[in-house]
Amino acid sequence: MAMTTRDRARLSLGIQAGIFLAVVIVLAILIDWTAIRSSFFAVESIGPMFPEIITVGLVNTVQYTVVGFVFGLLGGTLLALMRMSSFPIYRWLATAYIEFFRGIPAILVFIALGFGASLAFGWNLSTLQIAGSALAIVASAYIAETLRAGLQAVPKGQLEAARALGMPAWRAMVTIQIPQAFRIVLPPLTNEAILLTKDSSLIFVVGMAGGAAELTKMGRDGINIYQAGLTPLVVAGFCYLLLTVPLSLLARRMEHRTPRTGKK
Amino acid sequence: MDANMSQSQSQSQSQSQSQSQAETSGPTAPDTASAKGVPGARSTSAAGVTITGLHKSFGDNEVLKGIDMSVAPGEVVCLIGASGSGKSTLLRCVNRLETPNAGTITVGEHEATHADVNLDAMRRQIGMVFQQFNLFPHLSVLENCTITPRRVLGQSKAEAETEALAQLDAVGLQHLSERRPDQLSGGQQQRVAIARALTMKPQLMLFDEPTSALDPETVGDVLASMRKLAQAGMTMLVVTHEMGFAREVADRVVFMDQGLVVEEGPATAVIGDPQQPRTRDFLRRVLNPLGE
Repeated sequence: MAMTTRDRARLSLGIQAGIFLAVVIVLAILIDWTAIRSSFFAVESIGPMFPEIITVGLVNTVQYTVVGFVFGLLGGTLLALMRMSSFPIYRWLATAYIEFFRGIPAILVFIALGFGASLAFGWNLSTLQIAGSALAIVASAYIAETLRAGLQAVPKGQLEAARALGMPAWRAMVTIQIPQAFRIVLPPLTNEAILLTKDSSLIFVVGMAGGAAELTKMGRDGINIYQAGLTPLVVAGFCYLLLTVPLSLLARRMEHRTPRTGKK
Repeated sequence: MDANMSQSQSQSQSQSQSQSQAETSGPTAPDTASAKGVPGARSTSAAGVTITGLHKSFGDNEVLKGIDMSVAPGEVVCLIGASGSGKSTLLRCVNRLETPNAGTITVGEHEATHADVNLDAMRRQIGMVFQQFNLFPHLSVLENCTITPRRVLGQSKAEAETEALAQLDAVGLQHLSERRPDQLSGGQQQRVAIARALTMKPQLMLFDEPTSALDPETVGDVLASMRKLAQAGMTMLVVTHEMGFAREVADRVVFMDQGLVVEEGPATAVIGDPQQPRTRDFLRRVLNPLGE
């Protein structure tokens, strides 16, 4: 007998639930829960990590990320304007920069700044300077493309209407184009901030003094200090979530609120 | 080269024009070209338009092939013709949203095609209403109407809002001044666009198919606002497919086809009794699309 659409939907749901249940049972039997508990969730070693994991680790992670993001935004704005410039050399330079830094792993930039800067120029950069500028260098490449896309996403008719009213080009850009582009780029910029938060952990390759340690470094050090398996890493991981989950909720809310622009 | 020549030519033309204006020192603009049979300036603040030898190409595609026409101060001229005939491009050349390849355009005392023209100053005297409204979506209806007077003319907030509310009242939308554009119907948005243009106290209004993107039931309100404006003596150049509006409101109708003016005259003549085969053919298709 032929199945109705409803029967088929029920069958599909039943099969999926069955597979899920089977997997859960198998895992529950096979997995050594005590080992998992003692190496990932050793409760007794969580307490001693506080408050330093927050007052030092989280604070440093936020610091590096904020410095990287602010300078990345400034650099990205400059690069976006260069990319849209009528002067071809600016366009080529910006394109080359963007393609280069989007194409290489961020960790190379950290290594280059952390070791190269002192080797080549004898600069003695602080951890904040290294992390902040490495993140800014990489972020500006991504942010430039986001900003350019945002400015170009504002419908042409908006600028035409502004110019037709008698606004000079700069006024139309400041009053009409940029505010609309800003709303368009806020969600992707928030996502960029999330990526940066995580990339700030790359400063780990350069090494740093205890006071400058960020979350990943503190998690890694905690493994040696507390002899509690990987529990400190798990704690550090949750600290990242404390930063990234609110940001991603914020981005999602803004995506829903983005007003329609242009055509009806 | 050609463009340069005709530009310098018409520069001297407009100079002599403004001289003669100074001599007569009347408030009405001088009678430019074929203004006969047209009621004279109905408003002292209305500007006329004179277009001579206008050419415009997009790449290899020549859209305007030598347009000569004029609009007297206070006159309402409707531009009709098939899509692709160059009507919109012609309109957009008048306020220089498009740059002509050759020919001259003067709007009031501004020579739009002159190399040294102050485009922003000229555009402040030319209102434009677009097919897609182009209201600023991030601003309220009231802010749409006050932003340019405040930021460009330097009016105070109170001054700009008083004027904006008066203009919104004139199009019957004062009660929606706090709304966002996307909360309005198409017809309401278009009437806000008209009010927004009028807050700049223009001497000429350009309408680029203002009702083509509207739901049929909202067309009437927009046309009524435009008729009111025409009755107040505004100079209007209107690209439209609304033959009823052209017949009732236009002082003159200009039919364009393939980048050229084919026929022009009073609405009753051009629409009621077209002389050119191309005009007849176009009107037959527009007025009687089923061909019955």
